[in-house]
Amino acid sequence: MSAAGPSRGAYPVRGTSKSGARGDPAAPLLDIDRVGMTYVGGGLFRRSAVRAVDHVSLRLEAGEPEIFAVIGESGSGKTTLARMILNLATPTDGTIRFLGADVTRIRTNRDRMAFMRQVQPIFQNPFEAFNPLKRIDRYLFVSARRFAGARGRVDIEVTADKALHQVGLSLAEVKGRFPHELSGGQLQRIAIARALISAPSLIVADEPVSMVDASLRMSIVNLFKALRDELQVSIIYITHDLATAYYISDRVLIMQRGKAVESGNARAVLDNPQHPYSILLKNAVLSPDDAGRPMPPAGAAQDSSGIPVSNEE
Amino acid sequence: MIAAIQSSAVNAAPATGRVLTVDNLRAYYQTRYFGIEREVRAVDGVTLHVDRNEVYGLAGESSCGKTTLIKTLVRAIRPPLNVVGGSVTFNFAGRDCDIYALNQSDLENIRWRHLSYILQGSMNVLNPVRRVQQSFVDFAYRHIGQPMPAFLKLIEAHLHRVRLEPTVLDAYPHELSGGMRQRVTIALASVCRPDFIIADEPTTALDVVVQKDVLSMLRDVQREICSSMILVTHDIGVHANVSDRLGIMYAGRLAEEGRTVDVIRNPRHPYTSHLVTSLPRIGDVTQKRGLEGAPPNLANPPPGCRFHPRCPLAIEICRAEHPPMVDLAPGHRVACWVTAPPIKPGALQ
Repeated sequence: MSAAGPSRGAYPVRGTSKSGARGDPAAPLLDIDRVGMTYVGGGLFRRSAVRAVDHVSLRLEAGEPEIFAVIGESGSGKTTLARMILNLATPTDGTIRFLGADVTRIRTNRDRMAFMRQVQPIFQNPFEAFNPLKRIDRYLFVSARRFAGARGRVDIEVTADKALHQVGLSLAEVKGRFPHELSGGQLQRIAIARALISAPSLIVADEPVSMVDASLRMSIVNLFKALRDELQVSIIYITHDLATAYYISDRVLIMQRGKAVESGNARAVLDNPQHPYSILLKNAVLSPDDAGRPMPPAGAAQDSSGIPVSNEE
Repeated sequence: MIAAIQSSAVNAAPATGRVLTVDNLRAYYQTRYFGIEREVRAVDGVTLHVDRNEVYGLAGESSCGKTTLIKTLVRAIRPPLNVVGGSVTFNFAGRDCDIYALNQSDLENIRWRHLSYILQGSMNVLNPVRRVQQSFVDFAYRHIGQPMPAFLKLIEAHLHRVRLEPTVLDAYPHELSGGMRQRVTIALASVCRPDFIIADEPTTALDVVVQKDVLSMLRDVQREICSSMILVTHDIGVHANVSDRLGIMYAGRLAEEGRTVDVIRNPRHPYTSHLVTSLPRIGDVTQKRGLEGAPPNLANPPPGCRFHPRCPLAIEICRAEHPPMVDLAPGHRVACWVTAPPIKPGALQ
């Protein structure tokens, strides 16, 4: 790692930026403490405020890689929470600490790069995440140069190839191709490979499989499992799909209108949800096992607006 | 023909019988630029039928030809999409009509009165600068044939069926929530009590919580007006809850078709088996596998069975010859050389 020198800034990067060499074991990987976000709209006379995220807390321990699912319907603040973790949005209250350092206090470019090296995003729609006019390998090469410190053509290509092999692709398949030449599943794998180049310790994946075809979806989901088990990467998996969350995640957090209403072990929470909103979400899942059973008449399902929001953590 | 269709009283159709018959339909996108001819075989030899008062589900991943099939069924095609073979026959008010033999005015009389659609993004269907009531007038007034006050009363009664207040008629589409908008489009598509409704991913843009409610409402309205429906979605969970029969499409062809319960509980085509078994379920912790490879390019589909490059069961004949649809049980058809071999493979040539 020639690019990663010793850090003197506010943000501690210990040793190299390899994920194996994490910081102080006492500091949690990610510590979100009563974080909130209020969007203010309107003008001078008509102001309105939307509380998108309201006092959400969660904590991921360092050295214990896990998949943490954040579940909720649209408008529940999932994406706002992801943007705050990625430091793309500044919370209006509360703190987000990554390895003990407050992410909103990042000032210098060097600290920002060190943070980005450790925390990487994967977005929902792989067709929109890549510029259709640029070759797909360019993203990998730029990431290799900026985050992995690769210098020279051979070094850069080896770094990109290594990351692609981790997601079951190779540089030979991808090199020189444009996004439209690849399927959604392949593009999403490339997005994951790009995120892996910097050897991050945390990946924030915002609805990563909702735009991927059904036959390819499970291979992406299984890939997340492999990242956790083999590369020791923690993943924040944001979704509205309870079934995949049940399948891959260790812990879940269920959000309703900005508030965390229920959290805990994924299987325990989803097998036996306690909060009325969690029960409503679970009942709304349409399972293929329902085939042959009559569907309840309209109106039997509830509207989420009738359920009071309460913090039960 | 026109007289017969127009004079038929609202919802006087018989309760049974076949409404749609599609026979060996082939629709290709054909382009010719700079002397280079290109042909994308988006729908290639689809044969199916839909009975009255039945929901026919159509499942398949993106770019398998679902939307092209729908466009072809309603004759909403324009070049480069051309129908190169086969027929689409509807049975409205007891009369068969080949949709490609109708003239323009007959077609206009059939559309919305007998054949209506529910489209995916309800925001894009409703005109954003017209109130909901005006949309109803635009779509349905000429087909209902009643004076305006009676027409408005009928619409209000119909909106009540999808549990909407009459006040939504004065709203603009952006003032309604996504679920309400989708209910408005369902009301709009069913207000003329059409014989046939085509629903293209009606709930994909909706939230998980709202989705189930909208689907059961769609089903209730369909049952009440005794119309038939083609429901297109890639979500097997939706089909399990709504569709009576299910057709699985792969690369422009039907791979399997049968009663939804049979197809989901006892899938016979390897692609269907994969789709059903790979779905994660709450309470199930077994390891699920994704399918290797990518869907084929329809401009240059693989020879033989189009699924063979990804198929774990592929044998020699799959690479050379396309499998015919074989009836495994009454109403359960499968196109696969391995799981559904024809009785006499030699006799097919």
